[in-house]
Amino acid sequence: MIEVSGVTKSFGRVLAVDCVTLGVERGQAVALLGANGAGKSTLLKCILGLLDYSGVITVDGRDIKDNPKRAKSLIGYVPQEPEFYDIMTRDIVRFFASIRRVKKERIDRVLELTGLKEHELKSTTELSGGMRQRLSFAIALLSEPPVLILDEPTSNLDAQARKDFLTLVSSYKNEGKTVLFSSHRLDEVDLLADRALFMRAGKIILEAEPENLGKSLGLKVKINLTIPEHSVDRAMSLLLDGGFPGVTKNGGGLDIEIESGRRMAPIKKLIQSGIEVRDFSVDEPSMESLVKQIEANGY
Amino acid sequence: MDIKNILLIMRKEAAESLKNRWFILYTACFSTLALLVLLIATSGSNIAGFTGYGRTAASLINLVLLFVPLIALITGGISIASERENGTLSYLLSHPVTKSEVFFGKYLGLLIVIWFSISIGFGIAGVGVSLGGEGGDVSNYLITALLSGLLAASLLGVGFMVSAFSREASKAIGVCVFLWLFFIVLGDLGIMGTTVVLDLGIRQVLILALLNPGEVFKIASVLVLSPRFEILGPVGVYAVRTFGREGIFYLLFSIMALWTLVPLLLAYTVFSRLRKEEL
Repeated sequence: MIEVSGVTKSFGRVLAVDCVTLGVERGQAVALLGANGAGKSTLLKCILGLLDYSGVITVDGRDIKDNPKRAKSLIGYVPQEPEFYDIMTRDIVRFFASIRRVKKERIDRVLELTGLKEHELKSTTELSGGMRQRLSFAIALLSEPPVLILDEPTSNLDAQARKDFLTLVSSYKNEGKTVLFSSHRLDEVDLLADRALFMRAGKIILEAEPENLGKSLGLKVKINLTIPEHSVDRAMSLLLDGGFPGVTKNGGGLDIEIESGRRMAPIKKLIQSGIEVRDFSVDEPSMESLVKQIEANGY
Repeated sequence: MDIKNILLIMRKEAAESLKNRWFILYTACFSTLALLVLLIATSGSNIAGFTGYGRTAASLINLVLLFVPLIALITGGISIASERENGTLSYLLSHPVTKSEVFFGKYLGLLIVIWFSISIGFGIAGVGVSLGGEGGDVSNYLITALLSGLLAASLLGVGFMVSAFSREASKAIGVCVFLWLFFIVLGDLGIMGTTVVLDLGIRQVLILALLNPGEVFKIASVLVLSPRFEILGPVGVYAVRTFGREGIFYLLFSIMALWTLVPLLLAYTVFSRLRKEEL
């Protein structure tokens, strides 16, 4: 569906995207990972035809340089920080619906789908960050495009807004649409992506299935378990003897450092041994630790 | 270029501008002053041979010269630069529209809104004259309004040119205010000063005046309203004698049209050649 071939983009002397080649198949969700300045947003903007570049990019066979209007009509785009005209929410959706030649009934549908129906008479400047993100998603969905491009769409959202937004994208993906998105967060990649591409200094340096990304890099997550105080010592011995060396006490519970793909294993072990697990939380590895791990693996 | 997209962007631009508080304030000021001009004009007697619509139109010329270029230049100056600055242009271009559709849609939308504002001012004054029962030649009054619209079109194009060159709206506004001072406030003084310093002949003074859209508007409006071209001074007499009354009129219209087309096309050329990352 999306073919990127030998794309290079420089800003003055800075090489932002360095001869990148990638393909995204129809119905596939692909995540672009990488630290700030890795070239993710630049690559997405090249695909959208918002930047000049060398190389070839096609969307459903249409070259974005030769046939930009047709190619763009196939893409719904959610920018990192969406900026809208200072007009009513409903009016801005109506404007883009007209640009995309979409029937009026679709306006109500996308406003309802994104939970913006009750805010449709508000000016776009009155909307919160989460609502603005949902508005750009509503606009992206207007013409039911086969491709959705999201540029770090949850970077400015609070936890609840992020969860709501990811649920929306997930349902869109389940309809069989193609999704290409950039992200800083591994949990988003786990939830949405079929493939993860890691970028550094404008190049794709690693490609993996999300579930294997942590495993192949030996990434560890930190799990915090809340268990009854009288069970802490027994639980610790059980886990240490059961092959979980990274266990430490933490107040009324335990902290366990474990490979990303084995996060449920210590919880199962404790429950099977009759120890009550009252609560748990997972600290995902940060993008910085992922970068370090990738460098340590010699990529 | 898709005409439907141009019309859609034009309509959005016009709707947005009509809700803009500065534009509402500008229209209110222009209309109020037009009403005051009407009251002052009708309180006087037969001033300089003007009566009814003619007298009101003559009084409105200076008001138009002061207000219309200012709003046209600043509106044009902000137009592209502010959209580049806040990212809305880039977002709009991620949709299936071209740069040319955006450019001409924005220009037409803003021009319609400025014309609307001018129409309100001229409309209020015109209704006032009609109710006062003075009457007169309404066609010349309408031609003066048309010339005001042309002046707006030309200076809006100049504003767009400034905007296409600017990355920041604040800088564009600064340049536009300077151009307004240059064309309008310092227009006459500039011509007088240059004439004295360089010891220019009457032909050169006329050419100098014709280089300024504000002066062109003023000369054309006076020629429309008054049969006595002597009130334009020796340069006016020279112009009418050289080109004929009809000839000078067509020449002035042509210059106004050029002042509309050339800056607009130059602005479009600059805008269309902007690298995508500059948008």
